Amino acid sequence: MEMSRTTAAPVKRRRLLQDNPSVLWFMGLLGLFTLGITVLSEGFGIGVISTNLVKILGMTLCLCLIAIAMDVVWGYCGILSLGHFAFFGLGGYAIGMWLMYARTEIVIRDSLAGGTIPPTEREVSEAVASQIFSVVGSNELPLIWTFAGSLPLQLAMVVLVPGLLALIFGWLAFRSRVTGVYLSILTQAMTLALSLYLFQNDTGLRGNNGLSGLQNIPGFLHVPQSVISVWFFWASAFALGAGYLLFAWVVSGKFGSVIRAIRDNEARVRFLGYNVEGYKLFVFTLTAVVSAIAGALYYPQAGIINPAEIAPIASIYLAVWVAIGGRGRLYGAVIGAALVSLLSSWLTGGGAPNIDLGFYRIVWTDWWLVMLGLGFVLVTLFFPKGIGGLFDYLVRKQ
Amino acid sequence: MTTLLEVSGVSVTFDGFRAINNLSIAIGEPELRAVIGPNGAGKTTFMDIVTGKTRPDEGRVIWGAQSVDLLKLSESDIAKIGIGRKFQKPTVFEEQSVRDNLAMALKNRRGPLSVLMWHATERDTARILELATEIGLSDRLTHRAGDLSHGQKQWLEIGMLLAQDPRLLLVDEPAAGMTPSEREHTTDLLKRAARTRAVMVIEHDMEFIRRLDCRVTVLHEGSVLAEGSLDHVTKNQQVIDVYLGR
Repeated sequence: MEMSRTTAAPVKRRRLLQDNPSVLWFMGLLGLFTLGITVLSEGFGIGVISTNLVKILGMTLCLCLIAIAMDVVWGYCGILSLGHFAFFGLGGYAIGMWLMYARTEIVIRDSLAGGTIPPTEREVSEAVASQIFSVVGSNELPLIWTFAGSLPLQLAMVVLVPGLLALIFGWLAFRSRVTGVYLSILTQAMTLALSLYLFQNDTGLRGNNGLSGLQNIPGFLHVPQSVISVWFFWASAFALGAGYLLFAWVVSGKFGSVIRAIRDNEARVRFLGYNVEGYKLFVFTLTAVVSAIAGALYYPQAGIINPAEIAPIASIYLAVWVAIGGRGRLYGAVIGAALVSLLSSWLTGGGAPNIDLGFYRIVWTDWWLVMLGLGFVLVTLFFPKGIGGLFDYLVRKQ
Repeated sequence: MTTLLEVSGVSVTFDGFRAINNLSIAIGEPELRAVIGPNGAGKTTFMDIVTGKTRPDEGRVIWGAQSVDLLKLSESDIAKIGIGRKFQKPTVFEEQSVRDNLAMALKNRRGPLSVLMWHATERDTARILELATEIGLSDRLTHRAGDLSHGQKQWLEIGMLLAQDPRLLLVDEPAAGMTPSEREHTTDLLKRAARTRAVMVIEHDMEFIRRLDCRVTVLHEGSVLAEGSLDHVTKNQQVIDVYLGR
């Protein structure tokens, strides 16, 4: 792509699409895929694929979105964060609070509407609280649910809460120049601590029960899931496309040059006058916010979120997806996330037939993790550039 | 010529080893200065202190007419104030093109948001081409820096140093691994730079230093042993004993 620039001609503007043909390819394929799924769906098309599959595919797009965020922070900037699923989960919780509150409120108002005196706001709020929190033995609305009745405020929380956590955590870690494996361990500790905290019943997010019924969208309770699933699929595809464009722009210009330089030799970048810690904090926080948006789109499709979702292992899987797909290239992260997560749900969801060898029966739910681990080791040893590296090979062959 | 950098009474100890011992040294603007000394004399540690990589145990490092205390600044702030450094082992960003390496070093705003919005102006593009011509890499702009020869990497790093447009250049062994004609070219480049700036060159090669034709500071065991013209210091008996006599 650099070759197309002639030495003498001044480069007036950054030409994102011309310089990065892969972005155009990706957008085209994503558009075609979205159109294809829409046509085949039950809600809008001929009904060849089930609503459940549409949801799985929509969720996969969200996982692809967090994977490209992971690729930017790890593959481009060299920060092996093993905690980005914490931000994903927080985004899910933030939107989940509104979904659960607003839906419960509608149900409560309907049931109280029959009475002679219209219920006061306080009565409604108390009824909602006891409905939501009776499962953890409480009937009071915790402080953090203050804004749960407002969609705009709760949407702001999707961005602000994980963004602020990333900002504070990153500031503390990068300022002390924690790098490499030590930083990875710190991020693991962060997501583990958050997960353990949320498992407690008195944290205001229903402990291990988590938030549920998130697939029912307040205001659209009469709309069948077959239609809502396609709406969310569209939203996820749009978010992935927008995120891809954003990150492609971020990593293409001089900013991308600086963060790759930080990845390769951060001390040298300091002597060029760049504030390395500031750049790391910027990238860490930006990718955390995108991860949170991915989570906010994922959990309404999953229907439920609980603290197990942000267990340390989730963030490690994320790193595995990106490594298998190929670090340092956005489409690699998409390929890795889509391939591994779809294979995983096919093999562990009972979709794949078990194989009877006579002397031994291969049960995929048992063997999937072994295969994933083996695949990870093989890719790391023999294809350090991941599946995405194959494209280099093909392009060079032409 | 006014004093640009003044290092006074600086000492630093690593695990009981006194790498720099009450070192005082000053350089003016413009000036070309060569620093020589046997291995372990503290030449590189001295540069580490000035550029903020190593904090000394005691002493002062004062910069410019405003007497800025460099010991209070971070590495990146010291670079921004106008001190550029070329490392002993050429350290360029090998995965990136020659153009990207130079563009990164170019004197422009360094904040994340300004860099995110940055696009090469005609002046930037012209400057990159000018620098590339000066370091003999104008036909290599789109090449990976990692594919360059050792000498070309040295030059690319010198080009990056010039691109920063610093007031003080700290140059650690610029001629290592260069052919005689490349060395000559490097000498010219440094002498030209020293017309308007302060340039401090660490070098082992006496021939190279002779061609620089400048004031020489001899370091030994972390402090200044002698200072003056090359002829003056090479006649100094102490210098002969610790360095040249071997």
